[in-house]
Amino acid sequence: MAEKVEIPVQKWSGRVREVTLGATKEEGGTRTRSVTVGGEATLPFLHFEGELPHPPRIAIEIQDKKPEEWSPLLLKAWEEVIDDPAAWAKKAEERGADLILLRLSLDDAQGEENTPEKAKSTVRRVLAATGLPLLIFGPGQVDKDNELLVAVAEEAAGERVVLGVCEEKNYRTIVAAALAHGHLVDSRTPMDVNLAKQLIILIHDMGLPLDRILMDPSTGALGYGIEYGYSVMERLRLAALHGDTMTQQPILVTPGEEAWRAKEAKVEEGIPEAWGDWEERAIMWETMTATALIEAGADVMVMRHPESVRLVKEAIDKLWVKEG
Amino acid sequence: MEIVGECIHIISPKVKNAMAKGDKGYIQELALRQAKAGAQVLELNIGPQKKAGPEVMEWMVDAIQEVVDLPLSLDTTNLAAMEAGLKRARKRAIVNSASAAPERLESMPPLAAKYNARLIALTMGKNIPPSAEARIEIAMETLMPRILEVGLSLEDVYFDPLILTVCGMQQYVMQGVETVRFLKQIAEPPPKTIVGLSNVSNGAPHEGRSLINRTYLVMLMAAGLDAAIADPLDPRLWEFIRLVEERDDSTPVGRLLLRLYDAVASMGELSPDDVDMSDPEQVAIYKTVQILENKVIYADSYLRV
Repeated sequence: MAEKVEIPVQKWSGRVREVTLGATKEEGGTRTRSVTVGGEATLPFLHFEGELPHPPRIAIEIQDKKPEEWSPLLLKAWEEVIDDPAAWAKKAEERGADLILLRLSLDDAQGEENTPEKAKSTVRRVLAATGLPLLIFGPGQVDKDNELLVAVAEEAAGERVVLGVCEEKNYRTIVAAALAHGHLVDSRTPMDVNLAKQLIILIHDMGLPLDRILMDPSTGALGYGIEYGYSVMERLRLAALHGDTMTQQPILVTPGEEAWRAKEAKVEEGIPEAWGDWEERAIMWETMTATALIEAGADVMVMRHPESVRLVKEAIDKLWVKEG
Repeated sequence: MEIVGECIHIISPKVKNAMAKGDKGYIQELALRQAKAGAQVLELNIGPQKKAGPEVMEWMVDAIQEVVDLPLSLDTTNLAAMEAGLKRARKRAIVNSASAAPERLESMPPLAAKYNARLIALTMGKNIPPSAEARIEIAMETLMPRILEVGLSLEDVYFDPLILTVCGMQQYVMQGVETVRFLKQIAEPPPKTIVGLSNVSNGAPHEGRSLINRTYLVMLMAAGLDAAIADPLDPRLWEFIRLVEERDDSTPVGRLLLRLYDAVASMGELSPDDVDMSDPEQVAIYKTVQILENKVIYADSYLRV
């Protein structure tokens, strides 16, 4: 006779905030749909324990020019569209993206400096090519980030774009641009729970509502510090569920960027033969990194290879089973 | 509560500079100010001093003893410097410190015994074990036998459970309180305990450190702490000590600290009902307890949330 086993249920006092990316026409933008993340009242996939209103979402990362430093496997996967961010965005949508992350470069394809005007034009074209909500990240240099992001924030006014990345040494200008034009921001810190919380406090202090901030605690790839990133995310999420208000933000992580930096994914040469097929391994590296991170509580994952995206979406679908 | 004044420390750039230049005046002024503020012992941390350890120590001890008449706590890993200081000290000194790491376990206790000094014994080996149980094990199985072996009495020893910082090692902060509690139970009469209090706020912004330190001190006192190496120049620290020691419940803050003290003493926790949330000072203390107890994640701006 089968024993009936009582599953212990934890009662949490807090929950993650809901954050909505993108705005439809009714919401003041032009997206075909907006995407809401967060809202978790329990740990990932424990549907029997608490409410989980939204599954984790995947943003496919595209760039405003061909990213020469990317792995040849990625360049091959996006071959037909890699020189045109608008076509790339459209293709990414077809390949299953929930969101598009557009990364702006320092220079354009001709090797000339990127300018606010060029960035605005790129954003205009990408917005026209896809109906998905957008995240726009600067090239990662303080002055250039500020210059370009202020311009694209204006261009995309009302679209509830996520502007990134805000870091402790440079967040004021980006937050001000988000405030002025109705956008959201990505709050990025090195892997550390204290710093993650502190930057949320600082950004919120500038007047940006908490439902317009994504928390980006950084992560490492499989084999390259993922366990540190995992622990930090886990601690932040547990704190959120215990009612620690400044940690109750949906979490964004970038497994694509991290995994494709690992030599297991990036290159073919100087690798033991026993490691097997390069392409299969590289896709699995990104897939396994991302899959681990959704178990740690990731709400938005930024990924690169369309096949990894397919595999991770499949994993999410299988885990997203609400019983009873 | 016995306060060992922490200010003469090699880590302070001004102290380091005064030592390098042989500027007695600055060291003496620091010694006098701490003595006037109520420090019962003065810590004298000269660092390892690989080159001229004994000379530096003698110079420092002499300089301080010219102006104050307090016992000194000598803090150096340099054995020759330690011995030089012990020879020079007029009042009964404290050897800071022995630990369960082989070298310091071997050398420091006999030196304390030879010069009839007191001894600070750290409950750590090469590393600090996170759990209170593991630290107690070190105290009982490694430190105590060695202390008795060299002829020291347990009454001459302060056990130091090692305090970790709330910004970075937050989950282990309460292990410090629990270690003090257990240490008071491992022998009869209970052994004395001491902490390096300011460690708990190491890395926090300067203006926030006092509140973290003195709130934590109240919790440690509730667990039975006897002494702290701390900043005697902080009048707010003395005020918290006084409120608790005199059980002064004439002010709202005094009442809150006594509730905190009683809660920790009975292994309980402060409840939000104990706090008048309309009083910013009480709210600040409550929020500080929350981060010390790891209920809420520490952030530099934790008081603003």
